[in-house]
Amino acid sequence: MKGFEEVEHTADIALRVRGRDLPELLVNAALGLGTLLTDHTDMPAKAIQTRQVEVEAFDPESLLVGWLSELIYWAEKDRFVCHAVEVQEVSSTHLKATCIGSCVPELRHHIKAVTYHNLQIIQTDQGLETTVVFDV
Amino acid sequence: MVDSRAIQRIDKYLYEIDASFRADMRVPARLYTDPELLEHALGDASVDQLVNTATLPGVVKYVLAMPDIHQGYGFPIGGVVATRLPDGIISPGGVGYDINCGVRLLGTHISEEEVRPYLDELATAIYKNCPSGVGKGGEIKLKTGELDRVLEEGSRWAKARGFATDEDLERTEVGGCLEGADAGAVSAKAKERGHDQVGTLGAGNHFIEVDIVRDIYDEEAAQRFGLFAGQIAVQIHCGSRGLGHQVCTDYVQRFQQAVQKYGIHLPDRELVCAPLNSPDGQAYLAAMKAAANYAFANRQVLAHHVRRAFEEALSGKVRNPYVFQVYDVGHNMAKIEQHEVDGERITLCVHRKGATRAFGPYHPDIPSAYRDVGQPVLVPGSMGTASWVLRGTEEAMRQTFGSTCHGAGRAMSRTQAKKKVWGGELREQLEGQGIRVRAGSMSGLAEEAPSAYKDVDRVVEVMHGSGIATKVARLVPIAIIKG
Repeated sequence: MKGFEEVEHTADIALRVRGRDLPELLVNAALGLGTLLTDHTDMPAKAIQTRQVEVEAFDPESLLVGWLSELIYWAEKDRFVCHAVEVQEVSSTHLKATCIGSCVPELRHHIKAVTYHNLQIIQTDQGLETTVVFDV
Repeated sequence: MVDSRAIQRIDKYLYEIDASFRADMRVPARLYTDPELLEHALGDASVDQLVNTATLPGVVKYVLAMPDIHQGYGFPIGGVVATRLPDGIISPGGVGYDINCGVRLLGTHISEEEVRPYLDELATAIYKNCPSGVGKGGEIKLKTGELDRVLEEGSRWAKARGFATDEDLERTEVGGCLEGADAGAVSAKAKERGHDQVGTLGAGNHFIEVDIVRDIYDEEAAQRFGLFAGQIAVQIHCGSRGLGHQVCTDYVQRFQQAVQKYGIHLPDRELVCAPLNSPDGQAYLAAMKAAANYAFANRQVLAHHVRRAFEEALSGKVRNPYVFQVYDVGHNMAKIEQHEVDGERITLCVHRKGATRAFGPYHPDIPSAYRDVGQPVLVPGSMGTASWVLRGTEEAMRQTFGSTCHGAGRAMSRTQAKKKVWGGELREQLEGQGIRVRAGSMSGLAEEAPSAYKDVDRVVEVMHGSGIATKVARLVPIAIIKG
């Protein structure tokens, strides 16, 4: 099962994301966003940083949007892109995680925001699946 | 999916989907288009998205699609939705993430022949003076508290800092400042994203373009706008940068719960909204105005940088390097306006998402110099193709809440465009047509390839033919500057 893939959308960029459960879906969404943001995946070890994040929401979809919005904010603020995630706590409305990544020299895409457009996390035979549309 | 059988042609360029098409529609949906552009629109989800907006509480008369309509998220791009005050809704998604993205047109006293020998220097000078690229900051360092002034005063702040003239402000929509903006309604995160981006272009479809006024269609209006054939002009297309994106993100998130509180049921969560007279609605309106002011200030500082670039590159080489403002107008905004509905003049919140205000002659919001000819409407084409200056009409006031199209409208996804076009090749093609290109990213260039867009001339023909916004001048590019 592929964790994420880019899908066609006229004006914007969309990612199809899958995971066996919600924590894996959230992690894969972050990694998918990372590949949209940069080609620089092999940064030198000394450039690696860890950042703590905590997101509160009121359902799984708003948790996903809140989480990705935080990552988009970091990308714009200091070009921090997340390459790995360690999830500490997760529920359908709460996420506490450590992001491992680096501030890359340049971003591939300017992603303005993550949208709720037709956003729905659905149950499949393999677990969970959703399509996230980004405004670029 | 809406199919063509649900769409009735009611005039040469006007089509309608009846309110009975879907049980949750409150008003009909109208499309200004022609058969070919309509087929484009039916090729993606844009018409379904238009129908979705017809379900919003407080929506009046009909929802509208302009000929450049294409698929967005929630609202379509190229849509106009007016809601009734006090209890109609305001929707952050109906404005979009790039709040007050818009176009500024600058005129000059320079002719094409005069500038040709120095075009390379000019293009380079603009590129150097106007910072561009993803998340790039600019040279303007704001003092503590100064960002709040930008948010609440817009172009007036720019004037106080010496980046604007009185005439610039007079020739900007709402004078470059929306009253009622509240910096306190803008989050710390949004301010963090915006603090060093005043006077920057950003990336994506934003650009600065040096144009030649190629054809004049309306002598009287052109003269009034200061335009003549063979003249050099400059367009600046950008918006509120990271600050606006974060304001929209924050309120779309906040309104996810607000819709439950107000008992609003929606076909798409990106359509979230709140009644205008609710604390949530008022907070968003105040924050949106602040972001819109930021965008006015941003384009104003960029105009200042463009002026400096003209001085640097052309001083002593052309007779008069002075650059004046023709107009500045947004195409992603919600505005509180008075319009006639069912014979009654009422106050509405007009959402224009990828649509331009096009007020007709004698409207008090038009600069006095243009008042009797109507508001200048600026319609940029896709990269390398023509752009248009139109004027607003009485017909727009009657039919479209004083609104018209905003550009060519995307026809191909960014990914598709990049598969078909290679940035370097495109650059060679444009240079081959005598167009100078200064771009930070080649793949960014490919995403904006002209073939990824609809034909702007065709889009404009629909608006002109319906009498909504009529042709004044057609511009063609000679230099393109982008991130």
